[in-house]
Amino acid sequence: MEEDEFIGEKTFQRHCAEFIKHSQQIGDSWEWRPSKDCSDGYMCKIHFQIKNGSVMSHLGASTHGQTCLPMEEAFELPLDDCEVIETAAASEVIKYEYHVLYSCSYQVPVLYFRASFLDGRPLTLKDIWEGVHECYKTRLLQGPWDTITQQEHPILGQPFFVLHPCKTNEFMTPVLKNSQKINKNVNYITSWLSIVGPVVGLNLPLSYAKATSQDERNVD
Amino acid sequence: MAEEPQTVLQLPPSSAAGGEGLTDVSPETTTPEPPSSAAVSPGTEEPAGDTKKKIDILLKAVGDTPIMKTKKWAVERTRTIQGLIDFIKKFLKLVASEQLFIYVNQSFAPSPDQEVGTLYECFGSDGKLVLHYCKSQAWG
Repeated sequence: MEEDEFIGEKTFQRHCAEFIKHSQQIGDSWEWRPSKDCSDGYMCKIHFQIKNGSVMSHLGASTHGQTCLPMEEAFELPLDDCEVIETAAASEVIKYEYHVLYSCSYQVPVLYFRASFLDGRPLTLKDIWEGVHECYKTRLLQGPWDTITQQEHPILGQPFFVLHPCKTNEFMTPVLKNSQKINKNVNYITSWLSIVGPVVGLNLPLSYAKATSQDERNVD
Repeated sequence: MAEEPQTVLQLPPSSAAGGEGLTDVSPETTTPEPPSSAAVSPGTEEPAGDTKKKIDILLKAVGDTPIMKTKKWAVERTRTIQGLIDFIKKFLKLVASEQLFIYVNQSFAPSPDQEVGTLYECFGSDGKLVLHYCKSQAWG
């Protein structure tokens, strides 16, 4: 059994800094927010999405509960931009705020987020669950309370949704061990966020994947 | 350009593979139930003049994840990562509670809606896209 890969807070902050550096290069608008006493902090990004529109679910089938959609049919349906435009008029813009914090108890990063309509109405936990990408729905429905819950933000003290971190090591460890075998430097935050982000509508541009390997080649 | 159709598995192969070295297993023992249109589509498309409609993907297992007997696949450019995940899950007979992750550059998980054609453009080399896959319990 492989030993779990934890990261310390300093490593967390260092990887966040590298992540933000690339974010600035591509205009992805992540920023670091120190806590009031500056002893720690978190990464933050604000992002707007159209509800039930193009970004969250390409099948647009979240309202139809097609978890058993046969693969054959799924592939017959091309990504239909016309459908997206029709639904966009009837749907609304949602403001998402994503925060990446360090959890001392789990020794891993944790994704906090909140969402509201432009008029300020917050989304409910139920709204969030319904908005989870189709491909994660099955797992979510098996244990919604184990997956996304609502908690108080450790630094801001306001209610946020949280993607539960207790299995983070399970999915991060194999990836990190595999990369270590070939002496490849991996930005923990980049890898981790690329995995958990899509669950809640946050997709990292592909250039982040290349940023890490470029850092290896151009050792400044 | 029909070079060696058996080196790249197009679908539940009808042509005998004859141990070319790139496909690890002969057709009869490869798939119990042919996943018909998952990551691979019926080979009815003619390779286009300039752009190939399909790209070659090499799948590599990470950690304790079972290794696929057939590692090299020809996949349509428009297949999404999600489509590929579903295909591998069926192929490996994973249960619904197990999550499968796919990585480019061994460490970055493209979003589920990402098309493999785009990934090939960004990360492909030597005429193929190497993707690592890993199964895990994901959340909770």
